[in-house]
Amino acid sequence: MSAVLQSEARAAPQLALRYARHGKREIAIDVPAGSVQRLELPDAASRSAFVTAVLKARCEADEELELFGQPVKNLSGRARQKLRSRLGALSPIVGLINNLNAWENISLPSAYHGKPSLAEVATITQEVLDVFGLEPRTFLARVPDELGRLERKIAAFARLMIAGPELAIIESLDDGLSRAECARVAGFEQEYRRRHPAGTLIFVDIREE
Amino acid sequence: MLRAVREIEGGIRLSLNAAGRLPVLRKPPILESFLRQVYFTGVTASTGVVLRASLLGVLIIAITMDVLDADVDLAVKILLLVVFREVGPLAAAVVIILRSGTAMSAEMAMMRISGQTRALRYMNIDLYDYLVVPRVAGVMVATLALTFYIQALAVAGGLLFSPFIIEASFMELASRLFDLFSPVDFYYSVIKALLFGFAISACCCYHGLNPPDLTQNAVPKVVTRAVTQCAMLVLTINAVFAYIVFGILFFGLVKATV
Repeated sequence: MSAVLQSEARAAPQLALRYARHGKREIAIDVPAGSVQRLELPDAASRSAFVTAVLKARCEADEELELFGQPVKNLSGRARQKLRSRLGALSPIVGLINNLNAWENISLPSAYHGKPSLAEVATITQEVLDVFGLEPRTFLARVPDELGRLERKIAAFARLMIAGPELAIIESLDDGLSRAECARVAGFEQEYRRRHPAGTLIFVDIREE
Repeated sequence: MLRAVREIEGGIRLSLNAAGRLPVLRKPPILESFLRQVYFTGVTASTGVVLRASLLGVLIIAITMDVLDADVDLAVKILLLVVFREVGPLAAAVVIILRSGTAMSAEMAMMRISGQTRALRYMNIDLYDYLVVPRVAGVMVATLALTFYIQALAVAGGLLFSPFIIEASFMELASRLFDLFSPVDFYYSVIKALLFGFAISACCCYHGLNPPDLTQNAVPKVVTRAVTQCAMLVLTINAVFAYIVFGILFFGLVKATV
């Protein structure tokens, strides 16, 4: 009997994320591990609540959240911290720091946590900038106020690639971008997949009605 | 009243947290932030105080000798007491409150309002480590350096320019200064400058990280509150310190007699 259950468990796709929100607008989201999902949430508040809950690995009373098969309610501080280190986002709520230039912004988490090494960070940054056709020397010396929207998104994306999260959320990717720029940022998915073949990528947006 | 209690409690908690985390200064981005703070608070402030500090020594010697009809001994003694123990650290504290206190509290309030502190938290970067510790340590070091700088300029200015307006030679003034100088003057100003630096930076960081609301309008409120409270803190520390050192150490506790 137990062997049958085990084989069924093995056959069922493992979920990277399960989220539900009760109330006026019911939301239920299941994201299989290793997939790329495009979620459209009904409004900005729902989107913000979803991204915040996932990034904090913490949910409100009207929400349910499981990350990598682990319910986040009643998690200890250390377990929550561990879970959060497996998550990353390209979102306005994890924006760039205004008084640091692009390179300092990109390398800040790794310089603070001590991994990966700065040499690795430089290599990954260089590769990401090459993919999107940016010249590193001028780009990396600029502070966020001197960068365009697309460039800011690319800097944040490079930082995300360095962190290499198992579950990455990209929020409102096309917001404020021209059509040509949207075509360029479409390459984020391919770049993420190339670097993290087993990772889960979620694009979150608002449903246009 | 409740807000005042909350602010005192928050300030003490922030100070203890910052003091206990000093070893994080070894981390590269924090060390860089610390050096940047020392540069902006100490080095850039130093050029603006040269003339004023030099004139301070001249004024003290000239006024003492002219108005109080003092001799060289008394004039140099007053120069030492006033410049080393009182005016040096106080002048440095005022310069730092006006230049760096305002900038620091406004910068941190802007970071809080625009969600940059939240971004740091999501990157698992501790706000105390990255924002508070380098600022507190940097401002302490800068206050100490600026205090020495102002003291040196005031004394040198006093000794060099006073002979033009009073009847005393440079050598006469300088030899009395070296005779009268004691290590207590040095320790006194070191401890005081470090305490001033700590109080100013902790107060500015506390207000910067705790704006009254999360709108742009909160920034001027934060700066006003931080500067006012920094000035009050510095004056209180100055008074308490003077009482402890001059009152208790030198004269013993004053007892009321009936």
